[in-house]
Amino acid sequence: MIVDAAAYLGSWPLRPIEAKVSDLTNTMRENRIKAALVSPLEGFFYADPTPANDRLLRRLASRRKLWAAPIINLRMADWRQRIEALAGRRQVKAVRLAPNFHSYEVAEAREAVHAAAEWGLATVVQLRLQDERSHPPILKLPAVPLAEVVALAAAEPGARVVASAARLAEAQAQAEYIRQLGNLWLDISHFDGLACVKQACEAVGAERLLFSTNYPFFYARSAALKIQEEELARGQAQAVMAGNARTAFGIS
Amino acid sequence: MIIDFHAHPGYSHDLKGMRAEFRPALRAAKHHGVDWVCLNALADWTESPTPARMRKANDAVLALMADYPDRVLGFCYVNPRYPDDSMREIERCVVREGMAAIKLWIACSARDKRVDAIAQRAAELRVPILQHAWYNARGQKPSESTPADVAAMAARHPDTMIVMAHLTGAGERGLTEIAPHDNLSVDISGGEPEAGMVELAVKKLGAKRVVFGTDTPIRSYGMTLGKVVGAKLTAREKKLILGENAQRLLGRRLAR
Repeated sequence: MIVDAAAYLGSWPLRPIEAKVSDLTNTMRENRIKAALVSPLEGFFYADPTPANDRLLRRLASRRKLWAAPIINLRMADWRQRIEALAGRRQVKAVRLAPNFHSYEVAEAREAVHAAAEWGLATVVQLRLQDERSHPPILKLPAVPLAEVVALAAAEPGARVVASAARLAEAQAQAEYIRQLGNLWLDISHFDGLACVKQACEAVGAERLLFSTNYPFFYARSAALKIQEEELARGQAQAVMAGNARTAFGIS
Repeated sequence: MIIDFHAHPGYSHDLKGMRAEFRPALRAAKHHGVDWVCLNALADWTESPTPARMRKANDAVLALMADYPDRVLGFCYVNPRYPDDSMREIERCVVREGMAAIKLWIACSARDKRVDAIAQRAAELRVPILQHAWYNARGQKPSESTPADVAAMAARHPDTMIVMAHLTGAGERGLTEIAPHDNLSVDISGGEPEAGMVELAVKKLGAKRVVFGTDTPIRSYGMTLGKVVGAKLTAREKKLILGENAQRLLGRRLAR
């Protein structure tokens, strides 16, 4: 059983990407991924991600193993109502925040994280989506500092928080603090380097990591194979591939 | 057969450290079915190393070749800013010690005339050159080559086999620029595993001009292998990329 904690549907203006549900489910089948948490790519660029979220939810309506993490822009005055409305939807397991795309500080998200938790949703904070070396001049987005997400999770111990797209070195630098938190997880989508998943397990603990492909940006097989780089203990591998996602996203 | 055309022995500055770092890399390579690892050491990762540092880096690779004679091929790293020393190093490492290729990094642009003697000697010896290139939206390093620079080098030296490193760094534009030069291939090392890039390289260059390389330890073996295994390509095309193309480029030196 493999659960993908970070996949996306839709189009991306900076690369020729047009990800459809059928492409995603084919990729999942090829890589033995049973379920995925999906966000709409357009939502990163829309001032109000609501239409992108609505389209995503319509696309996922009949798919029992595709769960949604709609995107919330905290700059919109009605973000609270948006979260509340989404919380009532069966497919929605989390909300995804993108402070660098929507231009606010991570600390400003505390109220939203608290609200999401009250409605039973996890909060995913997107650190980056594209290699900074390939950002176009008009869209140079520094990555969201992982340390700030760690502080956010520490400030809201009753919430479930996922830091999405951290690099291994960033996780290692914050390892001491991450280990102290029971409510913060990191997806492995942007971990790289020799034996990166094993190194991450050693740094922050296997129970803090979530398998993720970063579909459609990355080859899903790359995520599947990098987890096999150095043999993890059986329990560790199962936790990273599925068990932790159940806890992080409240999935039965 | 799987050949990793682009690997480094680690970040250490001395042989002892490199040996310690390289062991797990070789273990990971074996785990993923990689038969040969082509190693180049970048002289403490300094942009323009002195001849002494260059020799020390190549000494380390020679030692690792001796440690693992049936797993490791060495690539001779040279700095064209020191033309005479570079030529001496090629004679020492390639001609006498059996290294299989020449590595050029960011000391000198591929357009620089000081590269010419090296490229000419590579053609005479029938060994390929692995040349770094990247289109960096944050700005190139002072002498860092772009794919257009490598294309210019390939045009000047049509008899030299050149492999341009870093498919992701080249992008669609870089592939278009190198496409006219049949003596120029691309390795898939470096960068994130951007879906569709390997298929695009095959479309632009043909499967015979795409070569598997990891850039380990910077990149994971599994992650890089996933770029090929997970690509929408035929089994034949994947076989070419994973090993047969490198086998053709390295020729008899693979069976030393």
